[in-house]
Amino acid sequence: MKKLVLLLALLLTLGLTSAQTLVFGSSGFPASLDAVDSQDGNSLVVSGQVTERLVDFAPGKTDLIPGLATSWSANDDATVWTFELRQGVNFHDGTPFNAEAAKFNLDRWNDPNHPYSGRAEGKTFVPWGWVFGGPVGDGNLIESVAATGDYEIQLTLTQPAPFLPALFAAVYFQFNSPTAVMAAGVNYGTPNVGSVGTGPFKFVEWIEGERIVLERNDDYWGGPAGVERLVFRGIEQPTARLAELQAGTIDIAVNLTSDDLATVQNDPNLKAAIADTELNVGYVSMHQANAPFDNVLVRRAVAYAIDRDAIVSAFYEGLGVVAQDHLPPVLFGHGEDWPYEYNPEKAKELLAEAGFPNGFTTQYWYMPVSRPYFPAPQPIAETIASYLADVGITAELMTEDWATYLADYQTGKFPMYMIGWNADYADPDNFLRTFFGPSSLTDQGWDSPETRALIQEASQIADQDRRAELYAQVVNTVADQAISIPMAHNRSLNATRVGIEGWIASPLGFSSVSLHSVTKAQ
Amino acid sequence: MTAYIVRRLLGLVPVLIGVTLLIFFLTRIIPGDPAIAMLGERAAPNLVERLRADLGLDRPLFFNTAEYRETGRFGDLFDSQYFDYMGGMLRGDLGRSILTLVPITQSLLHRFPATFELTLAAMLLAVVIGIPAGMWAALRRGTLADTGVMLVAIAGVSFPVFWLGIILIYVFAVVLGWLPPSGRLSVSTSIQPITGMYVLDGLLAGNFKGALNAARHLVLPAIALGTIPLAIVVRMTRSAMLEVLGQDYVRTARAKGLSELTVVRKHSLRNALLPVITVIGLSFGSLLSGAILTETVFSWPGIGRWVYDGIAARDYPIIQGGVIFVATLFVFVNLLVDLSYTLIDPRIQYA
Repeated sequence: MKKLVLLLALLLTLGLTSAQTLVFGSSGFPASLDAVDSQDGNSLVVSGQVTERLVDFAPGKTDLIPGLATSWSANDDATVWTFELRQGVNFHDGTPFNAEAAKFNLDRWNDPNHPYSGRAEGKTFVPWGWVFGGPVGDGNLIESVAATGDYEIQLTLTQPAPFLPALFAAVYFQFNSPTAVMAAGVNYGTPNVGSVGTGPFKFVEWIEGERIVLERNDDYWGGPAGVERLVFRGIEQPTARLAELQAGTIDIAVNLTSDDLATVQNDPNLKAAIADTELNVGYVSMHQANAPFDNVLVRRAVAYAIDRDAIVSAFYEGLGVVAQDHLPPVLFGHGEDWPYEYNPEKAKELLAEAGFPNGFTTQYWYMPVSRPYFPAPQPIAETIASYLADVGITAELMTEDWATYLADYQTGKFPMYMIGWNADYADPDNFLRTFFGPSSLTDQGWDSPETRALIQEASQIADQDRRAELYAQVVNTVADQAISIPMAHNRSLNATRVGIEGWIASPLGFSSVSLHSVTKAQ
Repeated sequence: MTAYIVRRLLGLVPVLIGVTLLIFFLTRIIPGDPAIAMLGERAAPNLVERLRADLGLDRPLFFNTAEYRETGRFGDLFDSQYFDYMGGMLRGDLGRSILTLVPITQSLLHRFPATFELTLAAMLLAVVIGIPAGMWAALRRGTLADTGVMLVAIAGVSFPVFWLGIILIYVFAVVLGWLPPSGRLSVSTSIQPITGMYVLDGLLAGNFKGALNAARHLVLPAIALGTIPLAIVVRMTRSAMLEVLGQDYVRTARAKGLSELTVVRKHSLRNALLPVITVIGLSFGSLLSGAILTETVFSWPGIGRWVYDGIAARDYPIIQGGVIFVATLFVFVNLLVDLSYTLIDPRIQYA
């Protein structure tokens, strides 16, 4: 009898827990929950529920809203920024969030000699370099951080940055409890320790390769979250992820293959969750260190030879749009539409004019992995090669392991190659500087000081209309010179079980979505 | 016998030195390094430089001739990535993953039991079904039953594991809903690890619900992983049995009037098992070193996928630790196989 009662009690509690447990399926487990020391969505989606940023995005949008900072302002030339911090917020371990705590975090990332940076033991803070140039003394944007009040910090920059708040909205820059960081040292963020933040959920446990469990923070400043527990699982194969969702063992599955859109739509238990737009671009570059791509006529011929509309309609399942330039549609700074409409005859004429009436032979390198911006690299590459063949260009298809590919495309080894970009922050600077800034010489073999100067100038002006004009000039030059062919902006396919409400896909990808307001029907 | 075992284990030392040298050399000559892999689509030169320095990748690989020349101290020659690593290894420290900063030994200890449990289940399946099926086919040589068994066996080795895994998940988890699709445990189930093999741990702790849950998660990956060894065991048993059944002593046994059961069990099977055990041992060893595809499809947190991902990310400590572990394992499995011969065949003895 006693056993029976116990069993019933057990079943009852299990029933309750499972009803309030939300299971999230992404493609892998985090590298670390120390947010700025990790750089992948699978890490940041978990840490992002525990730790928070100064600036956040409005749900489903790129508009900035207050996070741990309630307001911000800059001096006239945007070189000194003041952030007012949210008051009455505590980290999960009781440490108060205030100017000291904020300064501790920023210094930890920005000061290479900070006693708790952990750089000597292997912490790398890669995204800090991506977005803020690097730590002090190495391309740093932020010169110093000062606590100017109990709840006010002041950042002094090395150069004007009118869109600084947008940088802090990038999903990486989540603030951790100084007490916890100091106590755990190099183990901070690993499965043994997890992370301690101010967010709507608290870290409970992380069983390596199996699951991560978070529980609701009832004292959250924004009010308690909609579910009691969160479980994160890494399910690498999109097919297996969809199967788990169909079987009801997970509630949300992100980054499914676009082929599965119809399956999701036809399953009465599932709902597709797709952002209105996503900040990414896939493109095909020609490296000018490889003849004949140093000839603009040849590059224009290639641009005319490829039917981008056909490729997008064949491989993007209605989720992607043909790119008019390298900037996602929702951003400002666009120039004229892409001037090269599919025209093989025109391509042949240009090739003849360039001295290649019978075409030429080259290599086309395609990515060994799929990315949102290129969901099916190999079939897309085969299609492109067949378009090139139509105008007489023989493109030998090549690929290699991803880490090698990443190292090689910047060396000029690939005459033609495909690659792309998912945004860190919602600003044209994140795209155009990345592609056509200082690294354009290595990436495309294109040395254009004028373009670099335009990008640099635009990054330091507050007036958005003026910035838009400058970016439009960059975009138009890239198009005129056919430096690189923008192909598509895509959207990822995510899906939830019916009964899950409040998960709104973000233009910046699944890792930027807070699970605070998500509810699960009993 | 003891001397033999000690000798074999001592042989491990040169094997490990060879393996570490080779793996250090090979991981460094392939293009791309952890810095490039971590920086991803955009690696500005100054970031790559700094990251390489932060990770110590700019240090000499084998011999620090520069420092030796500067200081003249012989010991400084060994201030290098390789000798630091070997020094750590002697203390049982295999370093930390570059990407996750998790100690390698911790990951190995956590992941190996998962791999071991899956391998055991898969091999159990292969042996329990494979040996009787192979015997049956041999005894009914040339009949429809024989052809049927062999056809299934050929199909077994021909299925791509990946495809088989996806089909199994779809049929048994999604359509029929009989078994969980992937993972080791349901999210509402917990098991206190003792050995790290969840079915066993559940039973040991009296947590039968947990053990059942873990066992249910084990079924599909074990089938996917066990299919190929099963097919090999069937074919091996059949051909070994056929050979033995044609031997003079079997004819003698039958002539003596022994029952067919005794002939098969005592005189044929035991002799036929030798090559079968070799095959089982080899399969066991290779499954233990990781079943990358099965682990991938079923989100099984074993060492195969872990090492594979380590290679993709150029996470040198994972590659080194994983390969050293697997090499050691192989040496042990081979030793166990060799020792098991003496149990089955008294003619074999090791001095």
